[in-house]
Amino acid sequence: MTAEGADRAFLSARRIAALVREREVSPVEITRLYLERIERLDARLRAYITVVPEAALETARRAETAVMRGAPLGPLHGVPYAVKDQFDTAGVRTTSGSRILEDHVPTEDATTISRLNAAGGILLGKLNLTEFALGGTQQFPFGQPRNPWNLDHDPGGSSSGSGIAVAAGLCAASLGEDTGGSVRSPASFCGVVGLRPTWSRVSRHGSFPLSWSMDTPGPLARTVEDTAWLLQAIAGYDAKDPLSSRAPVPEYARTLGDGVRGLRIGIVRELTFGPETDAEVREAVIGAARCLERLGAVTEEVSLPLVPFAGAVFMALADSDGAGVHHRWLRTRAGDYDQGTRRRLLTASLIPAAIQQRAARVRALLRAEMRAALARHDLLLCPTAHQAAPPIAAARGAITGRHEVAGRFFTRRSYVTPAALAGLPAIAVPCGFTGSGLPLSLQLIGRHFEEATVLRAAHAYERGSEWSRRRPPATT
Amino acid sequence: MSDLTTEQVGALAAALGLPVTLDDLAEVTHRLNALIEALEPLAELPLDTVEPVPGLGEPPGS
Repeated sequence: MTAEGADRAFLSARRIAALVREREVSPVEITRLYLERIERLDARLRAYITVVPEAALETARRAETAVMRGAPLGPLHGVPYAVKDQFDTAGVRTTSGSRILEDHVPTEDATTISRLNAAGGILLGKLNLTEFALGGTQQFPFGQPRNPWNLDHDPGGSSSGSGIAVAAGLCAASLGEDTGGSVRSPASFCGVVGLRPTWSRVSRHGSFPLSWSMDTPGPLARTVEDTAWLLQAIAGYDAKDPLSSRAPVPEYARTLGDGVRGLRIGIVRELTFGPETDAEVREAVIGAARCLERLGAVTEEVSLPLVPFAGAVFMALADSDGAGVHHRWLRTRAGDYDQGTRRRLLTASLIPAAIQQRAARVRALLRAEMRAALARHDLLLCPTAHQAAPPIAAARGAITGRHEVAGRFFTRRSYVTPAALAGLPAIAVPCGFTGSGLPLSLQLIGRHFEEATVLRAAHAYERGSEWSRRRPPATT
Repeated sequence: MSDLTTEQVGALAAALGLPVTLDDLAEVTHRLNALIEALEPLAELPLDTVEPVPGLGEPPGS
């Protein structure tokens, strides 16, 4: 691998699209570059479950012909991308990270995949995830995904491969799915950008469900601008998802450079200054807030007393939905699930109705709490995670007491599930590194359908910092 | 609410036709008790008049 080749693998998706358009880079050449890197690096990283080299090269050749012919080109023309293996791809197996679906080959693309292809994207393959996008997988059926910044550490989940592949230069950008943090957590741990759009902004058609009221496809990329362009490609009403929104989709790139001058940003006290937040995380997030202030934003602390309960509330609700999705397989194929997945779904199947109702009512209060805060502020700011990526071994092994459950499941989810429970857009942006070299991440949460403000602030911060320029060690 | 025992959890799972092995049963019981305990303080909130709807279809800007 030449230095130039490695450099090209880390170009932004928008830069690749521009170079393709200018005939400076051939779609075939850039596709081959990523396929070669996957072949060389992914045995250790395990970002991919399935790679489709022949189909990718065939699409790339057609893309090249279109360029040479002077045909109209989509905004992502010639950009090699990859998707979480939760999204249906016609003719390509879609496992949802489970042995139960290891031979499942859909006949139709998910709407998001159709739209990314229509924008000119070149699909490289399907990315690893925690089983059925649940989190807590003990033995990954298709290989243990590893963090490119330190192979012994967790890459985050559930869209694990989507974070790894972007961070390690194994694709230009990726698509994940965020029910309760599944885009933002891997973005945080892998040091890339991840956007959860407003619930219903993006069609869920063709995505294996977990929780009908929270599932949201979302992009991961190396720059905020790329996430904006990917969102542009996938957002908007879809008749195949009747709950998708008919709200107009703005041109996200148009306001991306507008800066943050005058924006009011609330720093969420419980998540930024709470006892569960690691000191290095707190310092990095406060540093990011100060940077946004220097750029012209006005910040102040805001208290959201219910957010520390969000993780448990989320699990009572989303896991119950998931238990409903999996009920038949749980009764007939329980042994085919990973142990961690099975125990989580069995637990969810037994949650008393009164507890679930309480969680649903608290969700409504939390939503009102966040709406009130966002009436006074344009954005809410907090860490994406309370700590940097933990060692993979830390989440391994059986749970031997109920006090372990809170530490392993509820605490970390309380940072990412408030936006999910309230259906709000939220972005994870790199904001520093620990002393041991692991990425740290800032989270910005916006009002319903105001992704443009979220992206604009994240872009301003990204330009005002240098964190996105670092590359992980396991990528050369 | 007092802790559920493994016997109670096992009986509930059996009633739903869910096959829970002895190995799974202890952990499922820990998980279920932890979830109930985590949500217990929220019973003190004035929840009776709050409708448990997920709030879908919120208008832009809210």
